[in-house]
Parts: sequence; structure tokens; C-alpha cells
Amino acid sequence: MNKKEKMWGLIILFIVFLGYFLPYTLFSNIEKWYGSFLLWTILAIIVIIINYILTKEWGDEE
Amino acid sequence: MVWITITLHILIGIFIAFLSRVGKQNSMAGYFLGDRKLNGFVSALSYSATTYSAFMLVGLAGLTYNGGVGAFGFEIIYFMGVSLVAIFGPRFWLVGKKYGYVTPSEMLGDRYQNKWVAIVTALSSCLFLIPYSAVQLTGIGYLLEGVTSGAISYTTGVIIATILALVFTYIAGIRSVAWTDSLQSLIMIIASTIVVLLIIDGLGGWNGFFDSIEKTKPEALAVPGNGFFNFWTFLGLTIPWFFFSISNPQVSQRLFMPSSMKSMRHMLLGFLIFGFIYTIVSVVWGLSATVLFPELDNADLATPMLLSSELVPDLLGVIVMVGILAAAISTIDSILLTLSSLFSRDVYRNIMKHKQTTDQKQLQIGKIVIPIIAILAYLFAQLQLDLIAVLSVASSAGLIVVVPGIIGAFFWRKGTASGVIISVIIGSIFVIILEAFQLLPLGLKSGIWGIIISTILFISTSFITKAPEDKANEFIDYLQVKLKKNSR
Repeated sequence: MNKKEKMWGLIILFIVFLGYFLPYTLFSNIEKWYGSFLLWTILAIIVIIINYILTKEWGDEE
Repeated sequence: MVWITITLHILIGIFIAFLSRVGKQNSMAGYFLGDRKLNGFVSALSYSATTYSAFMLVGLAGLTYNGGVGAFGFEIIYFMGVSLVAIFGPRFWLVGKKYGYVTPSEMLGDRYQNKWVAIVTALSSCLFLIPYSAVQLTGIGYLLEGVTSGAISYTTGVIIATILALVFTYIAGIRSVAWTDSLQSLIMIIASTIVVLLIIDGLGGWNGFFDSIEKTKPEALAVPGNGFFNFWTFLGLTIPWFFFSISNPQVSQRLFMPSSMKSMRHMLLGFLIFGFIYTIVSVVWGLSATVLFPELDNADLATPMLLSSELVPDLLGVIVMVGILAAAISTIDSILLTLSSLFSRDVYRNIMKHKQTTDQKQLQIGKIVIPIIAILAYLFAQLQLDLIAVLSVASSAGLIVVVPGIIGAFFWRKGTASGVIISVIIGSIFVIILEAFQLLPLGLKSGIWGIIISTILFISTSFITKAPEDKANEFIDYLQVKLKKNSR
């Protein structure tokens, strides 16, 4: 893996970790829309943005 | 009205399938990979349709109904796992072009220099994906029967879906599958989004919607909530799905198809946006069923109940229902196509090697196998097993055992053929035993055991057997050179 892949790959793994960790700890008693529902939504959006950055240089060479 | 909409849908589908008949379909790469020339837009919609099956609006909505927002987390973890395409996609694509691979199993067989790797991984895919297709058919059966209050029976629904999947596959191979998939996913996402907006509006807007959940079932907004999604269940359900994009051949084969890296990028980003919207729609769907019908016996009825409720206009309800039918078909036809390519390319060709199997002959065999697999799936569906989501996950738990071999192919020069074969065979058998007897050793689900056991077996066996060094170096070095360009 090249440097860019390693860096963003690790960041994605960290976000996945947060997706497991936070809902079962910090947010487990927040029974509101701004609890786990919002958290997972935000994490998903961050992942979309990272994929956007990670694939930015993929060219159209066939 | 149901029949008119279904008929209309079938006609449009067939029309589009015929339109897609461009180029040659008389070679393996032409029929199964669209000559590696799919554009980004079609790839994205088709990838979405293949991934998001009937499971979403029936199974996931049901899972949300049972366990609350944890179902959303489950789907989001899967969604994040699709990022694996950003790492593995270019690698599959590059070696696919260089060596002419048609299937992921063929790639593994060549990379590890052993035809049994291809045969074993292909057969294990068939073993798990035929039940998975059956699960889709079951979903459709329930749904059509539920929404039409029995006017379309379970069996009729299943038969319609099976036949359509066959027709869409046969007309032009992957091209007709990809184009009809695109149509189906567009109908699905537009119709279901409208329905969800109508329901939310009917429940007093976004605030009203969440207020009513907080009043009636506040535990649905947190995990573990009512206990359904305790942490270990959540982990057990999500781990296999996290690796879905590389473990399931009907999607990993897609990585061979885009015309360029740029098309693959469009496929990935298009899928992520589609998936994000669709996931939220499906989960809100399930949550609204929680509010509207808090006392259902069977969670799989949540969607049929919603569609026949007063909040959803009849016509829209029917369109969504046909959309769900389409979603199941678009998953099944891709699986049919992938499995038949696996069978002809990896099983038949490798076993018949002395007889010189030409490309043409393989294609012929592939086309014969397609209806056989469809009939098997139909028979499984007739067994009518209980909660859809659970079964569907069982098949992805089984496929996870090939993940160490795939990662090894790209990143570990010391991985060996025996490592892959042993990890896949023993791993699969282990998963099947756990599922068959409903065992949870140490409280962990079969998918977690699958990945742990197969990883240990792959690494340990590789250490005591000889790796195909020349091929490994050639394969990995080629990728390193090619990918360096993208490294800034």
C-alpha cells in the first residue's frame, strides 16, 4: 500500500472503531435523535468524503 | 392494479435488456464482464442494486422494528466496509486486465498457482450464495403475499422473481443485468424516498416523527436499547458484512468491469451516495413502523403493513412493492451470473483440463448452469425459513473465510495455496456447523469465528508450505509499480 492509502485507511479504521465504541458507551443512554442515529449518520458522511479524497487521482486510462 | 404494474415493469425491463445488447456476448469476458467496458454511472447503479437487495426494505426494516437504531449502525458499518473498494478495487482491476481474469476465484487460483484454490473458492461461493439467493426469493414471497392480502400467493411471487431473474440474465449477460439493475435501483430509491417523506409528513414532520418514537419506544433510539442489539450480537452481525465488498464474488467480480479507474471511482462514490440515502430511508421506514404498528408478531410484516397503510397512496404502495420485487431480482440475477461464471471458469475448466476447454465451451457451460442454479434457489425458498436477515447474514458469514486468502494475494508474498484451501474448507465447515446447531462458542457468532479460524489457518499453513515466489513477486511488484503513480 502506498502512503496515501495507509494514512486514509487507518483513518477509516478509526472511524469504524468509533462506530462500534461510541454508541455502546457514551451514547447508550441518549434515547434521542441526536444520539447514535446522528452519530452514525455523521460517521457515514465522513467516510464518503474520505473515499472522495482517496480516489481523487484515479485516471481514465483504459 | 398490482398485476398491471408488475406487467408494465416486466415489459420495460425486457425492453431495456434488449437495448443493452451492444458489443459481443460470445466470449466469457464479453458475457460476464461486459468486455471490461462498463461506464461509471451504470456500474454505480448496478453495484447498488446488486448489493441492496430485498433485504433492505423487508429485512432491515424488520430488524429496525425489532431492535431499533442498532439496525442503522449495522448497515452503516457495512457501508463503511465498502471503502475496501478504494484499496482493493484498483488492484483487482489492474491484475484482471493484465492476466485476463474473469472471476475472483480464477485470480486466486492463478496468484497461488494452484487450480484447487480456484475450484474450492468457487464451490464455497456456490454453497453460500445459493441460500442467499433463496433468502431474496423468500423476501419477495412474503412481501407480495402480505401486501396483496394473499391475492398473489407466496409461491407465485417466488416463481415470478425466479423467472424474471433468468430472463434478465439470459438476454445479454452482464450487460442486460447491469442495465435492468440500473432501472430497478432508480425506481426503488425514488419511490421509497417519496414514501418515507409521506410517512414522516403524516407523523407530523421530522420533529413529530422523532417525538413520537421518544414517547412510544424511546429505547429504539439507542443501543443496546431493548437488548436485541447487545454488543456481541452487533459485532457478530457486522463483521461479515464489513468485508462483503471483497468476500462476495457477485460484487468483487464487479471490480473487473469498469472501463477505467475513473469509472471505478464513479462506481464507488455513486454507490456510497446511493447507499447512504437508501440506508436512511430503510431505517426510517422501520422506525415509522415501530410508531404506527407497535404490536406486530412478525417483524417481516412491518413493510407490508406500511405499504398498505393509509399514509401511503395505493399506486405508490404498488410501485414500491414492485420496486422491492425488482431489488430482489437485481440481486439474484447478478448472483446467478457470477455463480455460473465461477462454475464454468473455475470448476469445469479446471477439472476438464485434458479436454481443452475453449472460451466458447466455457460460455456454453455457463449458460447451461444458470437455470440449474435458479431452480436450486427456488427450491430453497420453498423451505420458508424464519427471519430473513439472520439467514442472509449466515451466508455472508460463510463467505468471510476467503478474506484472508484475498488479502494475502495482494499483500503477503508468503501466502500459499494450501493456506487458502485449508482456511476456506475448514473455515466453511466450521461456520456451517455453528449455524446448523445454533452454537455460540464464547458467545461469539459464526462470522467472527469464521474470520478468526480462517486467518489462523491461512497464516500457519502458509508458514509450513512453499509459496509460489515467482508469481507472488511478479503479481505484487506489478501492482506496486502501477499504483505508485497514485501515491501522492
